[in-house]
Amino acid sequence: MYIPEADFEYLIRTLSDARSRATELAVSIGSRLGTEHRLAQLANSAAASIESTLRQVRNPAAEKLDSAIGLAEPIASPPMPVSFSGGAGLDAEHWLSAFVDELLVQARSAGGITFEGVERLLQHRKDEFLRDFLTARRMYRAYPRLFPEITNEARQAGTS
Amino acid sequence: MNFDTRGFSELTRKATELMADTADVPIVLHSRLGEHHELTRAAREMVANIEALVRELRSFDASGAHDAGESDFVVS
Repeated sequence: MYIPEADFEYLIRTLSDARSRATELAVSIGSRLGTEHRLAQLANSAAASIESTLRQVRNPAAEKLDSAIGLAEPIASPPMPVSFSGGAGLDAEHWLSAFVDELLVQARSAGGITFEGVERLLQHRKDEFLRDFLTARRMYRAYPRLFPEITNEARQAGTS
Repeated sequence: MNFDTRGFSELTRKATELMADTADVPIVLHSRLGEHHELTRAAREMVANIEALVRELRSFDASGAHDAGESDFVVS
């Protein structure tokens, strides 16, 4: 059993979009009811579980775990190579890390890697980056007090 | 300051849409990887978390707990 590339793309797109929307919901609920409220905690749990699922789908190693028999047992995995993000000194959340992960998944898939596939992945990554950026900007504009670090930086930049 | 009830209904609507849009993720994973795969289980848990959020939001919205004078949640 394996996940075809089209399903991978669909899952990553759906989960990325869901993650942005769930995070926005959690911030909205938290700002109205307080972060300790049960509803805010439920919203945070939902956002965290979407994030977790997305990470697992993105993980190229998950594609290799295609034997349902071995999955219930702990698997002694070989030492993992240094991740791209770690080797390049990038944050794990950086868009380039996700892009490289997706390229590796495509390269290992049955269809292999093509220029068209790479272009499509890069465009998808760009769309996702812009969507996340716009969501973050909306959240900052709507709830600036939830981002004290940015507000302080902006204030310091204004005074210097 | 009272909560904007229309705003809260909007949050409930958005959460419901989110639930609908992610409902087939575990179905896709189940069909490709099987019922017991850790990804399928993670996706099921994810959907359950979203459903719990929607259920509570609907209940909260319907109860009017956010209306003035009826709840601890109202802040001034």
